[in-house]
Amino acid sequence: MNIPIFFDSPWALWLLPLAFLPLVLDRAFTQRYSWVAMLPKDRLSDLIGILLKVLAVLALLFIVLGLASPHSQQQSIERIGVGAQIALVLDRSASMDDPFSGGDTNGKVAETKSVAASRLITQFVKSRQNDMFGMITFSNSAMYVLPLTENREAILAAVQATAGNALFQTNIGSGITSGAGLFDKVPDSGSRAMILLSDGGGRIDADTQQKIRDWLDRLHIGLYWIVLRQPGGLSIFDTSYVPPEDAVLPPQIELNEFFKTLTSPFHAYEADDPKSLAAAIADINQKEKKPIRYHEQIPGYDFSQACFLLAALMIGLLLGVKYLEVRTWD
Amino acid sequence: MHNEIKEFSYHISWRSRGRHSGSHASTQRGMGMEFRGHTTLLSYPDPRRIDIRQTIRDPLEQVYVRIFNQKSATPVFAIADLSGSMNFGSKQSKVALTSKIASAIAMSATHNSDPFGFIGFDDVVREDWLCTQSFRSHQALELTSALKNFEPDQVGSAGLNDVIRFLPRERSLIFLISDFHMPMNELEDSLSLLMQHHVVPVVLWDSSEYKNLPEFGITSVTDCESGEKRTLFLRKDMRANIVASFEARRAEIEALFMKFDIAPFFVEGDFDADALTEYFHQFVAA
Repeated sequence: MNIPIFFDSPWALWLLPLAFLPLVLDRAFTQRYSWVAMLPKDRLSDLIGILLKVLAVLALLFIVLGLASPHSQQQSIERIGVGAQIALVLDRSASMDDPFSGGDTNGKVAETKSVAASRLITQFVKSRQNDMFGMITFSNSAMYVLPLTENREAILAAVQATAGNALFQTNIGSGITSGAGLFDKVPDSGSRAMILLSDGGGRIDADTQQKIRDWLDRLHIGLYWIVLRQPGGLSIFDTSYVPPEDAVLPPQIELNEFFKTLTSPFHAYEADDPKSLAAAIADINQKEKKPIRYHEQIPGYDFSQACFLLAALMIGLLLGVKYLEVRTWD
Repeated sequence: MHNEIKEFSYHISWRSRGRHSGSHASTQRGMGMEFRGHTTLLSYPDPRRIDIRQTIRDPLEQVYVRIFNQKSATPVFAIADLSGSMNFGSKQSKVALTSKIASAIAMSATHNSDPFGFIGFDDVVREDWLCTQSFRSHQALELTSALKNFEPDQVGSAGLNDVIRFLPRERSLIFLISDFHMPMNELEDSLSLLMQHHVVPVVLWDSSEYKNLPEFGITSVTDCESGEKRTLFLRKDMRANIVASFEARRAEIEALFMKFDIAPFFVEGDFDADALTEYFHQFVAA
C-alpha cells in the first residue's frame, strides 16, 4: 500500500532540520566525572543513551510533521458491483395520495399509492446494496432531489421525503428529461435504468418527445414505466380500447405508444394494488442485475493528529526518564 | 598563621649528598655525630678532631684525626597533578585536597630544615604553579594555599613527562600527588624518568567516584579531561561493575608502583597526616 502524502502547510517542513538538534547538542544537565574511561562498558546504558537521543529526535520530528498537517489525497477506488445506475422518477401529483384502484374491495381503506410506492421503493433500494440511485420527483414540473449516488442514507431519506402535499398536475415529460439529465456526465456503468412511477399519463409535446428519444438513446437508459392505475381507469394494455370518434387517445395510452417507439429498451408495468406494484419492482430487480463498474470516493486521512499523539508519547517517555534522572551525585 | 596545617614526620632511606646541614644521613663530611673513619691531620687539617689514641698506636708516628658525616638537608618536592580530573570531588575537590597535602609537606619540610619546591602540571608543566626549592617556605605556602580555589580546565596530564627537567640533579624526596587517572603506559614512562629520585605516590581517589555512586537512576556524565559524554543507567550490577573496575585499577596501580619498588599512599576522603607518618615508618627503612 503506497499512499501519497500531501501537506497542507509544507513550509513547516523547513523546520525539519531542527529535529536533529538533539544529535548535535549535548544534554544540558550532565554530571562531571573524573575519568569516564574507568567506567565499565555497559550495553544497557549505551542503549538508553541512544534511545534518549532518538526519542528527542522523533518527538521533534513528529511535532514538525504535525505542523505541516500531512494528509493522504482523496482517492477513488474502482469497484465492481452487481446492480445498476437507477434514476427514480416519481410522480408527486396529488392523485398519488389516493388509494389503489384494486385495493378497496374488502371495504377497508387501503394504503395510499404514494405510501405504498415509498415503502416498496425503500425495500427495493435496501435490497440493492451496490446500485447508484438518483431521484427526481415531478408534478407540475420536475424537482431535482438527488444526483446519482451510492449513499444509502441519502437515497432512503429522499424516498421518505416524497410523501407530502402536492399539486394536481402531471408534467411527465419534464420528469423524464430531468431523470435522463441525472446520467449526464456520470461514467456509464453499463447498466442504466430509469424507473418512472406515475399514475396515469400526461401529454408530451413533440419537441420533448424528440428530446426524450435522443437522450435515452444517447445515454443508454432503459426505461421502466410503472403505471398505478386509477380506480376504474383505463389499462394501458387494453388493446381493445377504441377512442371515440374525433377524440384523441387518453394520455396514458398515447404515452405508451410513444414509449414503444423508443430505440432504447422499454418496459411497462401496470399496478393496481401494492402486490402488483411489488411484483413490478421485483421484475425490474431481476432485469437489472448486470455487473457494473463504478468509482467510490474515499476521503483523505489527516495524519497530523497521529503525529501530535506520537510526539506526546515520546515527550512522555522523556519525562519518565527525567523522573529517573539522578539529580544529586551523592 | 599556618596552625591548621598538620605536619607529619618523614625520613629517607638513602644518604643525602646535600652540603646544607639538615637532618638526614648524608655522605658529607662535617660536624656530625656519625663516625666515618680516620685520616691524617695533613689531609684533614682540623686539630679539634685529633684522635690521641690512634696517634699513639701508629708506629709511623703520624697524627690522626677522626672524621664524621654531618646531617644534611635533602630537597623535598610536591608535584601536583592539575589536570581536569582533579576537579572532581564530592566534599572537596581533589585539587583542594592537594593543596592541603602540599601545605603539610611544605610545613613538614621546613621544620625538618629541608628545602621545599612545588611543581604543578597538567598537559604541560604549569609555570604559574611552579615554586623552586627554598629553605624559606613562605612563597611555597602561599602557592599551595592559593591552589585551594583553583579550578582546572579540561586538560590532560601529559606534563608529567617534563617534570624531570624542573627537578635538581641530586636525589630528592618527591611527593607525586595525583589521582593517576592516566593510561598505564604513560604513567610507567613518566615514572621511569623520575626513578633517580625517591618518589612517594599519593593517590587521591574520591569515594563518590565509585563507592558512593547514586543507588539508581539515569544520568549523563562528562569526562573532566576529554569531554567525552556517556549516559549511565545506574543500578545494582552496574555499580558493582564500577566498584570492581576501580578495585582492578587499584591492584594495577599497586603492581606498577611495586615494579619500581615504591608503595603508593592512597588518600580517600580526607588527608590524615599521621597515616603518612605511618607510611614512612612502614615502607621506608630508617
